[in-house]
Amino acid sequence: MSCRQVVKRASYKSKIKDPGTPGVLTMTENKFVFRPNDPSSAAKLDVEFKHITGHKNTKEGTDKPPWLNLSDKDRSYIFEFGSFHDLHVCRDFVGNALAKSGEAAKASSAAKPTSAAKTTSEKSGVTLPDEQLSTAEMQLRMKLLQEDSELQKLHMQFVISGVLTESEFWATRKKLLDGDSRTKSKQRVGFRSSMILDTKPMTDGRMNKVTFNLTPEIKYQIFALKPAVHQAFLTLVPSKMTEKDFWTKYFRAEYLHSTRNAVAAAAEAAEDEELAIFLKEDAILASEARRKIRRVDPTLDMEADQGDDYTHLPDHGIFRDGSKDVTELQNELYRRTLSQDLNRQGAVVLQGRTVDVDLEDPRTVAEALMQSRRESDESAEQERLDRITRMTEIEDLQEHHDHPVAQLCIKDPRDYFDTQQVNALKTLDDSRTGTEQKKCSLTTEEAYGSLREAISKIKSIGLKNSTVAPEIAITVLNGLTQNISSTKYQLGKNPQDSVLDSLPNKTKEELLHHWISIQELLRHFWSSYPITTTYLSTKVGRLKDAMSQIYRQLEEIKQSDFRHQVSLLVRPMHQALDAAFQHFDADLQKRAARSGGETPNGNS
Amino acid sequence: MPQVRIIAKNFMDMVAALPAMKLDKLYENAFICEAILRSLPPLAKKYVLQMLCIEVPVTAKSMEEWVLPDGVSKHRVAIDRLIQLRIFTETVDRKRETTYTLNPIFQTNLKKLLLYGVVLPREPMPSNVTVRLPSSEDLEAFALGQWECFLLQLINSSQIERPSNISSSMMKIFQRGLLSQRDKEAPRLTESGFQFLLMDTNAQLWYIIREYISNSEERGVDSADLISFLLELSFHVTGEAYNINTLTEVQKNTIKDLADLGLVKLQQGRKDSWFIPTRLATNLSVSLTDSSSRKQGFVVVETNFRLYAYSTSKLHCEILRLFSRVEYQLPNLIVGAITKESLYSAFENGITADQIISFLQQNAHPRVAERVPSVPENVTDQIRLWETDLNRVEMTPAYHYDGFPSRDLFEGASDFARGYNALLWEDPEDSKKMSLVVKAENHVHMREYLSRQRQ
Amino acid sequence: MASAPSKLYADDVSLLMVLLDTNPFFWSSSSLPFSVFLSHVLTFLNSILLLNQLNQVVVIATGYNSCSYIYDSSTSTNQGSDNGRMPARCVNLLQKLEEFVIEDEQLIKEGLREGIASSLLSGSLSMALCYIQRVFRSGPLHPQPRILCLQGSSDGPEQYVAIMNAIFSAQRSVVPIDSCYMGSSNSAFLQQASYITGGVYLKPQQPNGLFQYLSTVFATDLHSRAFLQLPKSLGVDFRASCFCHKKTIDMGYICSVCLSIFCKHHKKCSTCGSVFGQAQSDVNSTSNKKRKTPET
Repeated sequence: MSCRQVVKRASYKSKIKDPGTPGVLTMTENKFVFRPNDPSSAAKLDVEFKHITGHKNTKEGTDKPPWLNLSDKDRSYIFEFGSFHDLHVCRDFVGNALAKSGEAAKASSAAKPTSAAKTTSEKSGVTLPDEQLSTAEMQLRMKLLQEDSELQKLHMQFVISGVLTESEFWATRKKLLDGDSRTKSKQRVGFRSSMILDTKPMTDGRMNKVTFNLTPEIKYQIFALKPAVHQAFLTLVPSKMTEKDFWTKYFRAEYLHSTRNAVAAAAEAAEDEELAIFLKEDAILASEARRKIRRVDPTLDMEADQGDDYTHLPDHGIFRDGSKDVTELQNELYRRTLSQDLNRQGAVVLQGRTVDVDLEDPRTVAEALMQSRRESDESAEQERLDRITRMTEIEDLQEHHDHPVAQLCIKDPRDYFDTQQVNALKTLDDSRTGTEQKKCSLTTEEAYGSLREAISKIKSIGLKNSTVAPEIAITVLNGLTQNISSTKYQLGKNPQDSVLDSLPNKTKEELLHHWISIQELLRHFWSSYPITTTYLSTKVGRLKDAMSQIYRQLEEIKQSDFRHQVSLLVRPMHQALDAAFQHFDADLQKRAARSGGETPNGNS
Repeated sequence: MPQVRIIAKNFMDMVAALPAMKLDKLYENAFICEAILRSLPPLAKKYVLQMLCIEVPVTAKSMEEWVLPDGVSKHRVAIDRLIQLRIFTETVDRKRETTYTLNPIFQTNLKKLLLYGVVLPREPMPSNVTVRLPSSEDLEAFALGQWECFLLQLINSSQIERPSNISSSMMKIFQRGLLSQRDKEAPRLTESGFQFLLMDTNAQLWYIIREYISNSEERGVDSADLISFLLELSFHVTGEAYNINTLTEVQKNTIKDLADLGLVKLQQGRKDSWFIPTRLATNLSVSLTDSSSRKQGFVVVETNFRLYAYSTSKLHCEILRLFSRVEYQLPNLIVGAITKESLYSAFENGITADQIISFLQQNAHPRVAERVPSVPENVTDQIRLWETDLNRVEMTPAYHYDGFPSRDLFEGASDFARGYNALLWEDPEDSKKMSLVVKAENHVHMREYLSRQRQ
Repeated sequence: MASAPSKLYADDVSLLMVLLDTNPFFWSSSSLPFSVFLSHVLTFLNSILLLNQLNQVVVIATGYNSCSYIYDSSTSTNQGSDNGRMPARCVNLLQKLEEFVIEDEQLIKEGLREGIASSLLSGSLSMALCYIQRVFRSGPLHPQPRILCLQGSSDGPEQYVAIMNAIFSAQRSVVPIDSCYMGSSNSAFLQQASYITGGVYLKPQQPNGLFQYLSTVFATDLHSRAFLQLPKSLGVDFRASCFCHKKTIDMGYICSVCLSIFCKHHKKCSTCGSVFGQAQSDVNSTSNKKRKTPET
């Protein structure tokens, strides 16, 4: 959980018209507290979220200041934040908090399974160390169950039927509960990919006036895209000209560009040096481009020849605003090609939104952008050095790079279980063999003597007794045939083919479900040992009953048409269960003996 | 029921064709069991072996478990063979499950063979009686000489130095199918006759022996007896002498014929006479399942159509003479040339270009056999070209129909014939004569059609 | 009949190299008596020779101290029966085997033995491969060779390198190594040998039915194997032995130059002499493949 508490500077208003009391807003899981900066102010607040019934906030990009409006039954609390960012943080937090408190309200109905479980456990006369669940947790559990149908099935099967208690069930899934599924970070708005450079002037036919629409967002984009404008803004705006003048000039330059009247542009630029800044090729961009070219992997073949350039051919080239971008040799200085613009736009979009400040004030935006650019330059430089050292020189002569060891990754858990199953089968086979070594120690002479004896024995009696008895022969043949057919199914042509896939869907699902159930039960079963309390012993008893029920169900499945394949799959399950039963019985006897006939429970 | 019928081409098919009674009797002889086991396809051998100790029926299903998808046909062939030879008994039980059991007599005999070893059919004669036993080389030379002599006689060659004692009636039987004789002309080798000559010795031997056996009933000899004797003979030790008096009267007669073929060598001692089996005899039980048998080649063909055969055999010379002009005959070398004339005469005899080429390729001298192609391409191409020269006209037996009563009937008939893809020619549209030519094989259909139309 | 029989080779003509384990220490402790084992094997050999008269069987005894050819069906002449008691070839074989056992015993050095020692499998494998190479070079027509290891004693880790080399050379010459393991636990060496060379590894569950196993599985000639499914081992123990102490290890160090395996870090590779850098415990420990199910 990333943030349990949020503290933001905000001013509190009781009404919209209220000028507001500046102070600090602290939000915790259950309540929010407002402390005004002026301790004498009466605007202190301490409200629990459970009373809050609704929340509203102003939207970014509208003319409203960042307000958050929390309302309960009879009044509303309005907070004005310094920025929309703060507002968003608080809004998300409030949303979460409200959701939780809402869940808590429903908790009584949701907690029914728990109480059912409790009653069963109470029936068996044991007090259950049941934790007191917060409603939030309860809600989370409900949510998890809803999301995961498999989990829900298990829950239904075991918890509702009373084999496991609610807490036992969840105890093995702590991880799920801890999961930060709730607290996903909010999505950040990326850079708009539409060409800001295409900001179209709106001309109304009657007047010789051109209108450009400018929003803070667009300003930001302009700064990001055109470092020269950005630079100019920082140097010019407060000191030499007003912001409005700056933008007017900028758009005049833009307009000149769009009319594609290079001569006019040159003329105007000569008159007005500020305007020239906008009209000239962006020096910063140009230097950056040169840097970038230097940064390119030297092994990359960038050479282009005449053949690569199609733009001068008819039907080729890029059209912009309905006319072809033609190369004009004169006034090179004031020429900007679409491809340059596109590249720049692409680079900025990929860079993403680097500044996370309020966009209202162009000045702050410009400064923040400057800051971030400097930072990224440094890191980029470092990266470039890294890459160059890696690429340029012959690898053998380089210092070795520590390549991290690849993580072991078992992709399909079924693969793992297949091998386990194979091993289980193998041990089963091995256990049947009669080749146990007889324990005897002979001296070398005796050993060799027995060998010679065996040879002479054959010499004297011949091979008479070497034929295999028909009964043994047929068992051997059948055994081998079974082995063949089982391996044929098990390790079919394709290693990806598993036995499971050859079964009809119904059987397959049934088996998988049983397998999951068995795993669940066994996990609980084995974790209950050693049995120290009566609670555990009843639990084990319950688990054992449930397991033997599944055992019988498995037996039934085995009678189906796919006996062969199914028995292969069922065998490891049965083995696992058998082991558990065996341990249960052994443990029961041991405990019975210890407690002198005092059987802990009537479970059989 | 066996689904795959094996084309009766070798000896074992004759065995398989024997009636059940005789077959069962045959299996009482351990040698026959062994020989038959060896003649089986590899898979069948394996099946017999794995059933050796099993006395209860084994289900067909369990045996099929072992078979990979690629091997299903082989499995079928093997099982069918085993059933044909009555080695496996197939039973279908109440549950409609097919089971197989190994023939118990066969089983016991094989077990005996494995456990106690081969008991020789008869003891060789002590060496003090048979003083002048031939060396193995001599015996080999004798066998091959006899065999070659027999073959030459078989193809009516003029090169025979000493005619064998095989009666001409017997010879006629052997020649049946190999030679064709048009009236008054010298008999000629047929296509199968040429193929026969191209086979290796063992296969030739089997062909002759088969003819010999199939003919035995006419001579009043039971074929099963003969088969069992021949198989028994194959288990005698090469080069050892065996007393002829241990044989029955019938066998004694048989052995004389076999001596002519080179299977045994007969020798007369002071009071006993004995026979010495040669390699040809012991090879009788060689597995005949394979087709990959090969022998050392001897022919070198040059790009200039010259042909060198490193062979001392007159038979080889005769074979070469069939399709080439033999120019020199040196003690160990035959030099010839493949000419258009020599090939035309071969084609006239029904020998095909492919047969000649495959003969040259199969018998290529080891030095040239390594090369690809072993026979120069221009030679093989030219042989084929010359052959196609002769095949400019294609003959199709046909019937000619004319005198149709009406145009309709004529057109109907021609359409009908076209439906069978049998119409070879019909009168042009405008001609007044209505006649058509239809393949002979469809004559029956045509006749039916026409008679139906007439009604 | 010293010369090879006429060169007529059917598809199923096979040369079977049988490696017979004669480790006295194993057989004296085995539940299956050596006499029973031997008689089953002899019957099996007879049946192989019965199937095709061109089939060839060579038996190599894998002793404790030595190994030796004890039977070669291409050189032994008498086919008959020894007074109807058993096939004559078996008498020969048994005679040679007895001589071999006596010689093997004389080679033993006292005090070397601890537990059930392993047999000289690497030696007999090499001998079998040499024989097969000779057959390969005898001409274009030769029977199809395969090796059958009838092994009982446990793996000798000290032979790991030699055995692996033999296995790879068998793999190169496309000679399958079948193995029938009579011991109590599976033999990793033979499992690997059969897996790598495409042979069959089998551990009979019913040792007294050995002949049935042999005749059902191992009598299958290479030609027929294309059509039949033979038993597959389910899991193969792929663990390697280290070159330094011959221990079977799960994880270890591998020389990056020659792929020698070591159980602990060395300064220098003992096989190829490469100098290793400092071990970094987290990075340099390379794990071997441990277990895997054979892909089909």
